[in-house]
Amino acid sequence: MSVQILPQFRLARPRDLKEASALLAGDPEARVLAGGTDLLANLRDGLLAPSTLVDLGAIEELAAIAGDGSGIRIGARVTLARLAADARIAILYPAIAQAAASVAGPAHRSVATVGGNLCLGTRCVFYNQSEWWRRANRYCLKYRGEVCHVAPQGNSCQAAYSGDLAPALLALGAEAEIADAGGSRRIALSDLYVEDGAAHLALRAGEIVAAVHVPPARLRSGYRKARARGAIDFPLAGVAAALRVEAGRLASLRVALTGTNSRPFVLDGTAEWIGKALDPTALASAVGKLVQHQVRPLRTTVTAANYRRQVAAALAQRLVRELSA
Amino acid sequence: MSAAGTRSAGIATPLIDGVEKVTGRAKFTADLPAREALAGRILRSPVAHGAIRAIDTARAAAFPGVRAVITGAHCDVPYGVLPIAQNEYPLARDRVRYVGEPVAAVAAVDDATAQAALDLITVHIDPLPAYFAAKDALAGGAALLHDNKPGNIEREVRQEFGDVEAGFKAADLVREAQFHYAEVTHAQMEPDCSLAEYDAERDRLTLHSTTQVPYYVHLMLAQCLKMDASRIRVVKPFVGGGFGHRTETLNFELIAGLLAREAKGTVKLELSREETLVTHRGRPETDVRIRLGAKRTGELTAVDCEVVQRGGAYAGYGLVTILYSGALLHAIYRLPASRYHGVRAYANTPPCGAMRGHGSVDVRHAFESLLDELAEGLGLDPIALRRANLLEAPVRTLNDLQVNSYGLGECLRRVEQASGWRERRGKLGRGRGLGLACSHYPSGAAKPVHWTGEPHAVVNLRLDFDGAVVALTGASDIGQGSSTLIAQLAAEVLGLGVDRIRVIANDSALTPKDNGSYSSRVSYMVGNAAIAAAQNLKKVLVEAAARRLEANPADIECLGETYRVSGTDRTLAYPSVVAAALEESGPITAKGSYSTPPESQGGKFRGAAVGSSAAFSYGAQVAEVSVDEEMGTIRVERIWVAHDCGFAINPLAVEGQVQGSVWMGMGQALCEETQYHEGRPLRANLLDYRVPTIAESPPIEVHIVESRDPGGPLGAKEAGEGSLAGFLAAVTNAVYDAVGLRLTELPASPDRVLEALQAKRRTERLQRAKMG
Repeated sequence: MSVQILPQFRLARPRDLKEASALLAGDPEARVLAGGTDLLANLRDGLLAPSTLVDLGAIEELAAIAGDGSGIRIGARVTLARLAADARIAILYPAIAQAAASVAGPAHRSVATVGGNLCLGTRCVFYNQSEWWRRANRYCLKYRGEVCHVAPQGNSCQAAYSGDLAPALLALGAEAEIADAGGSRRIALSDLYVEDGAAHLALRAGEIVAAVHVPPARLRSGYRKARARGAIDFPLAGVAAALRVEAGRLASLRVALTGTNSRPFVLDGTAEWIGKALDPTALASAVGKLVQHQVRPLRTTVTAANYRRQVAAALAQRLVRELSA
Repeated sequence: MSAAGTRSAGIATPLIDGVEKVTGRAKFTADLPAREALAGRILRSPVAHGAIRAIDTARAAAFPGVRAVITGAHCDVPYGVLPIAQNEYPLARDRVRYVGEPVAAVAAVDDATAQAALDLITVHIDPLPAYFAAKDALAGGAALLHDNKPGNIEREVRQEFGDVEAGFKAADLVREAQFHYAEVTHAQMEPDCSLAEYDAERDRLTLHSTTQVPYYVHLMLAQCLKMDASRIRVVKPFVGGGFGHRTETLNFELIAGLLAREAKGTVKLELSREETLVTHRGRPETDVRIRLGAKRTGELTAVDCEVVQRGGAYAGYGLVTILYSGALLHAIYRLPASRYHGVRAYANTPPCGAMRGHGSVDVRHAFESLLDELAEGLGLDPIALRRANLLEAPVRTLNDLQVNSYGLGECLRRVEQASGWRERRGKLGRGRGLGLACSHYPSGAAKPVHWTGEPHAVVNLRLDFDGAVVALTGASDIGQGSSTLIAQLAAEVLGLGVDRIRVIANDSALTPKDNGSYSSRVSYMVGNAAIAAAQNLKKVLVEAAARRLEANPADIECLGETYRVSGTDRTLAYPSVVAAALEESGPITAKGSYSTPPESQGGKFRGAAVGSSAAFSYGAQVAEVSVDEEMGTIRVERIWVAHDCGFAINPLAVEGQVQGSVWMGMGQALCEETQYHEGRPLRANLLDYRVPTIAESPPIEVHIVESRDPGGPLGAKEAGEGSLAGFLAAVTNAVYDAVGLRLTELPASPDRVLEALQAKRRTERLQRAKMG
């Protein structure tokens, strides 16, 4: 215990994505460093001991928000503060602006990045503790231990994904641009995530999330977050929704959630409302029920799981009602 | 006191050490230059309760770079803030009683080496049954934490005043309720740190530490290190808050001293946030059952109150807390009969202690909640019910507390008016409401923890050739502004500007002993001592001016920068007055002291000293809240708070203290709580220990009420604690106004509120079905 010691590591500052990717591919112990707001706290807690931190700070192509023909490309190194303050995004994609503004506090947002928030580690009260604490608790399945203290009968990690941006981007149908030494590919953002608290990102060695692409916006969208305080807190549950109404009918609807499972996910079962005459109250209530059934909050936070389930549904219901009204 | 010359008291004055703080120049303990310092680190128990069978430190001691390794074997003297309840060792001996209790410590050339050495220490502990709730520790047959404390009871208090049964019989309405309060902790901004320098050649120790009570730290260092107190020097640098965490000597301070002596050098022991939160000493988890009777007019007839506190593993201030909880039922309203039963239990959690509003807060919430229930039952406005029970000073309460000034009536009037109470309460629509509650607090415990018979406070004023008045004080400024207050009072008496005064505080080699910053004692006690010292200095200066002006001292007017013979234009400038005064005697030290008057020192019954004070502050506040019934969230929209501080020596600091009290009450009311998983602190970080942020902080409108206490410095009383307790019930009473829900469990976190709302709906459904 006592003042928390930062472990020894090498700091690399590659000039381009290719070099960054090569550094990561060549060393499985290397980790990406962007804003560091999540990583440094975890390093001090002894949750990882990387040989090298690959600092993306010198790679300019990651720092832009730019139109990409039909939609918009947001670089992974764009800070959340900048994203939250971007006028175009606030108008075209309110869900993104709202999600970015809801992360942690102003000081965090001034350095925390889009890529960092998308790749945020999963969290659990039995995991995000000091080394001394975890050792006293015989560690856990996610790191160095045999047992999941959240679900001792099971054999998988239940840590919860807690990023705020992902659901907003999922609801808007965004794609992730994944770079490696050979170039880049685009995948549906939902394919970046896996329902596994110990390994929730589908990234191969050397791969870096370089940007997200958001398709052209003709959607009403929003993000709502349940938390104990008005700032700082990770979401106990977070809900994003994006929808379009045409001539009194629901033309599209996508709802996505965070904070309740090991990955952010798009709500199933909303398709049956598409094309039907819009009844905001009935729709909202149906969405609330779907959320109730599909979220799977467990005892990973100090706040009760049952509360998180209920407010995920309440927020989804409220948000869909507001957007469709 | 009317002083001619520059006015300094009663004027909003920025804190005299504010510039250092906002510019970052202030040196806190961890900032002190200590180039040679070794890094200290503590090995802590992973077990909540167990017998220590063996500690092997050989490998750690042999590790390169390690300068000292110590265990419980290095100190066999227990410590504790109360001389009659010292049962804690700096490092556990034989037994550990909570997870996180220090077991061994290392000093090494750097942190990484010290940590590596800690990892080489093996500790064998045989677990014993551990208890994390008071009821489990108190259950028959439970293993004892301390062999001399049967039933795991640290202290049981039974007090009865007046005829309680007759009181309830005479009541037109009796209400009873049960409340539960989670444990809360201080979360002061600065984590714990000590810098210990041991001079092996001369056997002398200097300790800089994050403390509110350097004098007590000095005493405990002497006791535990078995050193003559004269060989020890304790200095308190800038300190970033305390709120009671630091009102007793803490284990790390003694460990730092022991490590430095063992290493024959300097050791810096800097605790992490987690360790600071485990060191704890906050407000205990508490259960309150309370019963109140009232006449149709609203006049109270009797109170019967039971309190159970989970005090944690060691005594600390525990018996004071459980006594305060009973004593402070009194001295706020007229109370013809009272019965109190308090139980302070030991349990295998970090020790509790003093925290802002010490002992009064949970019981005050219960009391003020029940007052609102009585008011509703009697068809009275909550303010009217309280008005029916106001005291008239001077008055002596049933439990022998002496109240000499009392501004609660005025406080009520102010918040009633400011909040638009009459027009708005009950009329804000579903989900929005107003609530009111009152509170009070002593201005310093009449009897100090260490009773020596000496004056309660001493201030020395030094005057030398430069004409600066140097105030030497042991009063610990921890951000509350005590140094500024001392400067203002000395300046006021001498008619000088505050910038003529230089305050030197908290160095045992220079400054007079002071009991420290706790129980809101400093403004009242040290303030009075500062005034007395300044008056003594002024007398010397007036006499010197008289000599030089060849006049009678009685004819000399002190105008601060000028002294004048009354009714003439014969004057002498301040520097010449100083020169005249020094001519006779050389540099001058004028002393002033304060002792609590005997009539304010409490009654004769056992425990009577706790709660007794020379003066009590009073506060009333109205909260406006909105409640989101789908999310269970309570938003505090606005607070109107009136605080009777007797006289505001520094209105700026009073306003800040009252806002701080309200805000700290908001944490306990809405979101702060500790939590343990098999004794392991689950929330020992500032992410999960949820101190409110500025985002949800409401506008707080402070009204200062000045009742002019006859014994206070210029009539002043405490301002730093009294307005905390009222917040809790103001908010929960407002929630009742908003959605008809009585909250009996705090904090009213969203999950608790949602559950309570659902339980209420269920009950109402069942009732409707029954009536069906």
